[in-house]
Amino acid sequence: MKRFLQTICFIALMLFLVACNSEAAGTTEDGKTKIEYWHVNAETQGGQTVKQLVEDFNAQSETVEVVAKYNPDMYKGLMQNLQAEAAAGNAPAVVQVGWSFLNYFSDNFSYVSPQTVIEQHFPEDETFLQDKFLPNVLDLAKNSDGEQVGIPYSLSSPVLYINRDILREAGLDENGPQTWEEVKEFSKVIKEETGKYGFYFQEPADNWATQALLESNGAQFITDGKATFASEEGIEAYELLADMVLEDETALHIGWDQGVQSFIDGSVAMAYTTIAQRSNIQDNAQFDVAAVKSPAWEGKDVKLPAGGAMLTITAPNEKEQKAAWEFMRYLYSIESMAEWTKGTGYVPPRNDVADAENGLKTYLEENEMMTAAVEQMDGVVPWASFPGDAGLEAEQLLLDLRDQILGGSISVEEGLTSIEDKINELLND
Amino acid sequence: MSALAAVRKTLHLNRENAIGYGLLIPSIIIFAVFTFWPFLYTVYLSFFDWNMISPEKEFVGIRNYMEVLGDPRTYQIFGNTFLYIVILLAINCVVPYIFAFVIDIVLKRWNGFYKSALFLPAFISLVVGSILFTWILNPVSGPLAIVFGWIGLEIPNWTKSEGWVILVLSLITSWKVFGYNFILLYASINGISREIIESARLDNVPLWRIFFQIILPMSSATGIYVFILTIVQSLQYVFTPVKVVTQGGPDYASSNLIYHAYHEAFVVYRTGHSATLSIITMALFLILLFLYFKFVDRGIYYEN
Repeated sequence: MKRFLQTICFIALMLFLVACNSEAAGTTEDGKTKIEYWHVNAETQGGQTVKQLVEDFNAQSETVEVVAKYNPDMYKGLMQNLQAEAAAGNAPAVVQVGWSFLNYFSDNFSYVSPQTVIEQHFPEDETFLQDKFLPNVLDLAKNSDGEQVGIPYSLSSPVLYINRDILREAGLDENGPQTWEEVKEFSKVIKEETGKYGFYFQEPADNWATQALLESNGAQFITDGKATFASEEGIEAYELLADMVLEDETALHIGWDQGVQSFIDGSVAMAYTTIAQRSNIQDNAQFDVAAVKSPAWEGKDVKLPAGGAMLTITAPNEKEQKAAWEFMRYLYSIESMAEWTKGTGYVPPRNDVADAENGLKTYLEENEMMTAAVEQMDGVVPWASFPGDAGLEAEQLLLDLRDQILGGSISVEEGLTSIEDKINELLND
Repeated sequence: MSALAAVRKTLHLNRENAIGYGLLIPSIIIFAVFTFWPFLYTVYLSFFDWNMISPEKEFVGIRNYMEVLGDPRTYQIFGNTFLYIVILLAINCVVPYIFAFVIDIVLKRWNGFYKSALFLPAFISLVVGSILFTWILNPVSGPLAIVFGWIGLEIPNWTKSEGWVILVLSLITSWKVFGYNFILLYASINGISREIIESARLDNVPLWRIFFQIILPMSSATGIYVFILTIVQSLQYVFTPVKVVTQGGPDYASSNLIYHAYHEAFVVYRTGHSATLSIITMALFLILLFLYFKFVDRGIYYEN
């Protein structure tokens, strides 16, 4: 019995110690403020650079220690985790918020605008945002009320990766197709000449590339807070993709990881995916690989949603907010931005990084694949983000629709129209 | 005081079994905190409309139940769940039974090697297994597709086609579950008296009759345990590959009841629907459990 009581006491003591320990999580032993930074960068998508930047920051900072936390399943996954953590009352300090969640985030979570934190604690940085960023880039991070929710951090756009070896083998122009109509023709020729798949259109858990495809043809995802993608142009654009998958069988309908993997090992000739995949593709492809600008529709201008994310401050108290800006200022320095671009392929949001000697000047000269993304930045538009509580549900409906259309269980016209109605119903509730 | 006395009386609490009850308390507390309380809370949530973050929950009565039961997708997911159970019973209950029988009774050499080789995958995390298989089974450029290509076969595009996706996810799950079930059944068959089997062999009883008329009845206690376990696991373990590989897609064709409850709660944040689904799932399994005790349990041979 005595033995038993001893054991109970010991366990109670351990629990007590564990409880004490977790209370002290806000500060480290040497008095630094400890904050969490949430990101979505897997090892193949810049995760190593995140790790490097955080380590370097921690080494030089005397007041702040940052812990980086990876969130799987991209920005949607992060938003879900944040929802769970916010419900439990422990939000991280700095989070990456994907553009498509801009309004959802600002409606449902508590955050502080970076400029507010700067003005409160760092008067010397007061004009930092104004000086270093182009106004239209800063605008990407404003919500529908015109409030500056965060600061653009990762900027990307979709590009067309091409396998020049296969294009040459099929007797096609090795500079790749310029229009979507050509993409379809090229794919047909590739299938006939080489037996390989011509094209892969990225299918992650978001509708970003779909927006690029539809809006470049003149459709609008959202007009005045209403879903309007099922216009004539929208249907025409989606039909091209559906035809390639279902009728011509020249395009691959498969998960994102598997699709990119198939491009890298040479089973697919062209892949339409984000520039953020550049270093993964460049490092692993064993053939003559290139990235060309996003195809346009015959006679129309491209409209490419800005992909990537902004950094927002969700720290609950002033001490952590201060620490958050200190960390963010480090991430936005020319050197850190340059590292970020090198590691991920994101286009730098600051206007002075591309030409700076300590930035990307020599790097861009050596890496032609990046040029495509930098050159097409004039076609960049905000990522469509459905307003209100129904945002996530609307996004999910469009994802379900993609499986239905590309799986052949519903026609493009019927699918787009019915989902548009459904989303508008949701938005009205 | 009289209430306490009444409790003592109904529990037959006395000096001798006081320690027994005392020892039960820790597990009762754990059960209460991690099982009973969440269950009651789930019942509570199933009557509300809530997005998990807003401070207010809206009471909607039985509207969640009406919506869930009126949604054709719910029945599609019932169907999927049933299909998972059937496939996993075949792979993880029937096949290991036969393997255990063959390795213990029929084979004379390499038994130790087979035992460890078949159990080995049970050590590896299902997440790792799922990622590995997604790569190996890539229908266009995975190693298996290349090998199949040599002999002119094609792998179906399983992540995007109905039916196939359930079969392949079941296979991935089996990788983890098979070994454990196999070891359980092997131990049980191994415990059967050798004399019975040897005398049957002397009488030239064919192997299939040894299996069906000696092994199966004599190991039925473990057999039925593995059977039940497989049903429960086929609901729960399938969650991991579904989450990692398909997220329920294409268009819910690989979702099962457990994953769909997760999807409703943590992807689209309709906790009411999610809670309702969980309650319906539980009701279904209570019925199954009842049927089991009523019809199956009495036919089982328990050694002691």
